[in-house]
Amino acid sequence: MIEEPYRWVEAIANRREYIETQLASGSPIAALGYREGILFLTLGPTRQKIFEIYDRIAMGAIGHPGDIERLRMAAIELASTEGFTRSAGDVSLRRLVHYSLSPVMKSAFEQVYGAPYLARMLFAEVGMTPDEDLFLRVEFDGEIASNGATFAQAGQDFAVLSGTTQSREMMESFLKAEHRPDATFKAAFKSGLDAWAVGHMTLQTSDTKELPEPAALRKYEQEQLANTGIEAGILERDPSRGIRYRALMDKELRALIHD
Amino acid sequence: MELSLVALDQSFSGTADDFPALLRRKGLLGPAPVFDRTAQVGTPYQKTWQPTEATTILAFKFSGGVLVAGDRRATSGNTVVYDRADKVLEIDRHSIMAIAGVPATAWEMARVLEHSFQYFRRTQLQEMSVDGKVRALSKLLRDNFGFVMQGVGMVVPIFATYDFHPKPEARLYFYDAMGAQFEVTDYAATGSGSPAVRGILYYENHWGVKPLQELSEDEAAAIALRALDTAAESDTSTGGVDRSGKIYPLIKIVSREGITTLPEDKVASVFKEKVA
Repeated sequence: MIEEPYRWVEAIANRREYIETQLASGSPIAALGYREGILFLTLGPTRQKIFEIYDRIAMGAIGHPGDIERLRMAAIELASTEGFTRSAGDVSLRRLVHYSLSPVMKSAFEQVYGAPYLARMLFAEVGMTPDEDLFLRVEFDGEIASNGATFAQAGQDFAVLSGTTQSREMMESFLKAEHRPDATFKAAFKSGLDAWAVGHMTLQTSDTKELPEPAALRKYEQEQLANTGIEAGILERDPSRGIRYRALMDKELRALIHD
Repeated sequence: MELSLVALDQSFSGTADDFPALLRRKGLLGPAPVFDRTAQVGTPYQKTWQPTEATTILAFKFSGGVLVAGDRRATSGNTVVYDRADKVLEIDRHSIMAIAGVPATAWEMARVLEHSFQYFRRTQLQEMSVDGKVRALSKLLRDNFGFVMQGVGMVVPIFATYDFHPKPEARLYFYDAMGAQFEVTDYAATGSGSPAVRGILYYENHWGVKPLQELSEDEAAAIALRALDTAAESDTSTGGVDRSGKIYPLIKIVSREGITTLPEDKVASVFKEKVA
């Protein structure tokens, strides 16, 4: 019966709904470009969600740990073999996502007898200048959203990932207003934390359309910080070192909140 | 990057695959050559092979970590082919591999090693242990032994690194061509000029002004330069210091903070003051 076109469309629609329900509780992840690099930030109590992929590429992901792991391994394998056979400079996020990950995720999603990837990923590649930073979000069906960068203009200096579309859009409109590409690390960290709180609050109360008041945002952040840890990593712009990724400790970040 | 679909295997092989195995799976690294004693005709098999590691590399521990130094000459038979060869290679933030032997094989090995450590860290989300790193190089040497027995591709490296577990300390190893690793407490030297260097380092360590482990950075650099100069005196394959061309040996230091390369003018001033 699945051979009938209508049945197939229906099956795909069901599958999309199922995956979106599964992903809906995922804690948001924000990636922000600032003067000296790119910051990845999320809050969560247990599982690691921000990973180093290659010298200039990092990834944040929500979804099923098993699927995230398979996709992460594939990305590292592809980048490492490319970097080994050619050079680290030839490893490009655009090619990695467009030519390798997206087609695989799309076909896994559309083969209705097989298992799709229960994951949504956010990649960033740090450039020499903030204009050259690239952010790509990859959905479970292989769809790619970029930060709006074209050959003619630089894109937005941030990208976010969340459990629901509404939560993501709230975070995006918040960062559009609050975040500047020439921000210092500290300013980027604060915007990132606020953006996370906006996204997380939206996940809890699904019908809000307005951004929360700053005071409410602070209160919510404090409540959350009391029982979860901050997970963060940076890609440094400094070209003197090959490997740019560095994970940041919860402790050193908490010190920044209060001053 | 491969444009084809990623073949994601469904087996539970997550931790077993190291980077060389991944390269072999993708056909990017040749299989380890097999030494076949029965193949006599038409093969470049030599009955008596000569070790051809024509260079001098030395390393010793001093008060600031491990100093690794190498001359800059690359030779082919009696010909000097290059006088700015870099034989002291940085593998990661705390590890140096210094090479005596065939450059093509050695540089490829360094490249595989560098990627192996990073690949391990990225996939397993933890740093490879020092023992693991030392073993990884040993395995590459063993895989290469078929080439060594055919008279090509011999590499005899020194590996210097900084270990943070269980206690922070510098670690130094030398290898033979088959991949056996030997950890040393004070110093190591390899290459055709190494007998002279070993003599000097032994002498300095026992009867010098102070033991090698207590030397300051400048004193250590001076001894390294003297040792290389001595090796170059009798060994044609060692460049030593080229006084007219102002080419100085390469000196790198592994410490708790990472790797530093002594700038050329610093090496030059130590050389003028203490050696020339």
